[in-house]
Amino acid sequence: MQPRRQPPPAPRSGPGNPRPTAPLLALLLLLAPVVAPAGSRGAEDPAQPQDAGVPRRLLQQAARAALHFFNFRAGSPSALRVLAEVQEGRAWINPKEGCKVDVVFSTERYKPESLLQEGEGRLGKCSARVVFKNQKPRPAINVTCTRLIEKKKRQQEDYLLYKQMKQLKNPLEIVSIPDNHGHIDPYLRPIWDLAFLGSSYVMWEMTTQVSHYYLAQLTSVRQWKTNDDTIDFDYTVLLHELSTQEIIPCHIHLVWYPGKPLKVKYHCQELQTPEEASGTEEGSAVPTELSNF
Amino acid sequence: MQGTPAGGTSPGPSPMDRQTLLVFSLILAAALGQMNFTGDQVLRVLAKDEKQLSLLRDLEGLKPQKVDFWRGPARPSLPVDMRVPFSELKYIKAYLESHGLAYSIMIKDIQVLLDEEREAMAKSRRLERSTSSFSYSSYHTLEEIYSWIDNFVTEHSNIVSKIQIGNSFENRSILVLKFSTGGSRHPAIWIDTGIHSREWITHATGIWTANKIVSDYGKDRVLTDILKAMDIFIELVTNPDGFAFTHSMNRLWRKNKSIRPGIFCIGVDLNRNWKSGFGGNGSNSNPCSETYHGPSPQSEPEVAAIVNFITAHGNFKALISIHSYSQMLMYPYGRSLEPVSNQRELYDLAKDAVEALYKVHGIEYFFGSISTTLYVASGITVDWAYDSGIKYAFSFELRDTGRYGFLLPATQIIPTAQETWMALRTIMEHTLNHPY
Repeated sequence: MQPRRQPPPAPRSGPGNPRPTAPLLALLLLLAPVVAPAGSRGAEDPAQPQDAGVPRRLLQQAARAALHFFNFRAGSPSALRVLAEVQEGRAWINPKEGCKVDVVFSTERYKPESLLQEGEGRLGKCSARVVFKNQKPRPAINVTCTRLIEKKKRQQEDYLLYKQMKQLKNPLEIVSIPDNHGHIDPYLRPIWDLAFLGSSYVMWEMTTQVSHYYLAQLTSVRQWKTNDDTIDFDYTVLLHELSTQEIIPCHIHLVWYPGKPLKVKYHCQELQTPEEASGTEEGSAVPTELSNF
Repeated sequence: MQGTPAGGTSPGPSPMDRQTLLVFSLILAAALGQMNFTGDQVLRVLAKDEKQLSLLRDLEGLKPQKVDFWRGPARPSLPVDMRVPFSELKYIKAYLESHGLAYSIMIKDIQVLLDEEREAMAKSRRLERSTSSFSYSSYHTLEEIYSWIDNFVTEHSNIVSKIQIGNSFENRSILVLKFSTGGSRHPAIWIDTGIHSREWITHATGIWTANKIVSDYGKDRVLTDILKAMDIFIELVTNPDGFAFTHSMNRLWRKNKSIRPGIFCIGVDLNRNWKSGFGGNGSNSNPCSETYHGPSPQSEPEVAAIVNFITAHGNFKALISIHSYSQMLMYPYGRSLEPVSNQRELYDLAKDAVEALYKVHGIEYFFGSISTTLYVASGITVDWAYDSGIKYAFSFELRDTGRYGFLLPATQIIPTAQETWMALRTIMEHTLNHPY
């Protein structure tokens, strides 16, 4: 159950769209925030033109990309955030190149346990500028968020998580997290949080104007012994891409120490085509190994 | 490759929660030939300083062994959990008290917990002989659901009957529950759940809803009025092959399990296989894709069965197709941005339904047409229904918005079903009051 929220603004299309006079001029869409009755989030007023729903979707895409990037950059598995709602924004669309989006949105803490507690709905607020380039990954992001958790508390929780990870017995006898019934063993929770943090990097890079991802399940985990006390582990995640409904397995390798920047390497499997799936050759997954080592 | 455990030597697995420790104990009991843990307790001790910590470590070294650490002595601020056999309780508690070590009893009797856990596991796995002990707050296998259907129909035969409308690709029965107070060919309402097999919350919601209907009939005036004039049909497992596969091999399987010669990838997206804008945008001709529409409209037996049934019946007035996740309530079209002719009416009805849903547990839903709210999708159920003359065609996306996604914890089944019911009831009531 989700905490109660303020009634969200319902986006409406602006007063008019100036037609571009030059090929490189962008369309400017202004969206004014409007308060809608609680519980109802009309996608659009049917009296308005149908494409009024599109800017809302684009703002959401931008907010998601910005939040993945923010989570990755913060490098803190106990301070992860999820999108609460988009509050306002503007977009400049250039059909040939991509689009630039300014967006303001609210966030809440990722920790699902807080869902069951009333009054835990402390919202953070973020503003971001996101630039999507057509057919290119890694949207450029500039994002700032108000602080949700006091720095010292965050450091303590990160350190506790770190300790819990270090105490895990290897090899980890894990089939999947969550299990098929959605349950995450509290003992395994730190693994999940760290995996979510690492996946944020992957999901940031892969989010575009149209595709967005959720972390569906962790299917394998392996922790490595290190010489320098860092947490070093390999895991396989299943990402769910909503617009195509595809499940994408990604292999992720991450190195983490509380307070230090996260280091991530990954490789996601590409969709099979009927030819590749004939059995005579492996799927031609082009490795997208990017890292910030 | 071993992760180096921090802290002191902890012989027991740590940290653990009840679930894990109990399973561990079961395995242990089996391995040691049915050990008995009656009267054994788990104590949690908080050591104030290193001195107290070393006193606890001393306990570890006692021979014969008097305690079994589940969370060993590591640092003064971290709790220490230890299992104490019944025979040693007196000694250990005296030891702790005499040294000023504060402790609390985490588990009063391990064997009791073990027995309860074993009982719960066995219970949910047994095929029940009646629906009164069927757990509505758990997820079930196909066999359990089909068994429940038979019991359910037997217990409520005055208004419920079971109809087989066809067979799946792998030859499983496709079943529909009919709720009727009599009459011949009353105007009808169709509800389907589980067309995408990984959306487990939908089957669970459907089952709860079926039970809700029989429970509230005669008590809820609105529902009783609906059933006096109309029939309700619920297809709980619209994709039985896919559903079985989510239990056996791949929890995130979406499509059916149809196989065609020369095509290596399996399955068609049943919600792209309908005869309405078939093959258009938002569906895929690649058989390996999750939104593969299939070779032709209605090529899949699971879809053909529904088309044949609804067409032959000829008097359906509403169709509601239930999916997860995203928390949305939508109406046609999915295949294009073109608004349907009664768009205003559907918008207002969706708004009312979503508000009724919100009132139950405060969960917010987006609403609007499919193409503008979710995405463009062609060959979908509700587009076909609308084009076939069913004016009130709706598609739900249930909880949540991505935190758990398809793997929604079972604890959310009943709250989800309760709120969804209020939305369904709103739509059905409107359908009743607006005959056409």
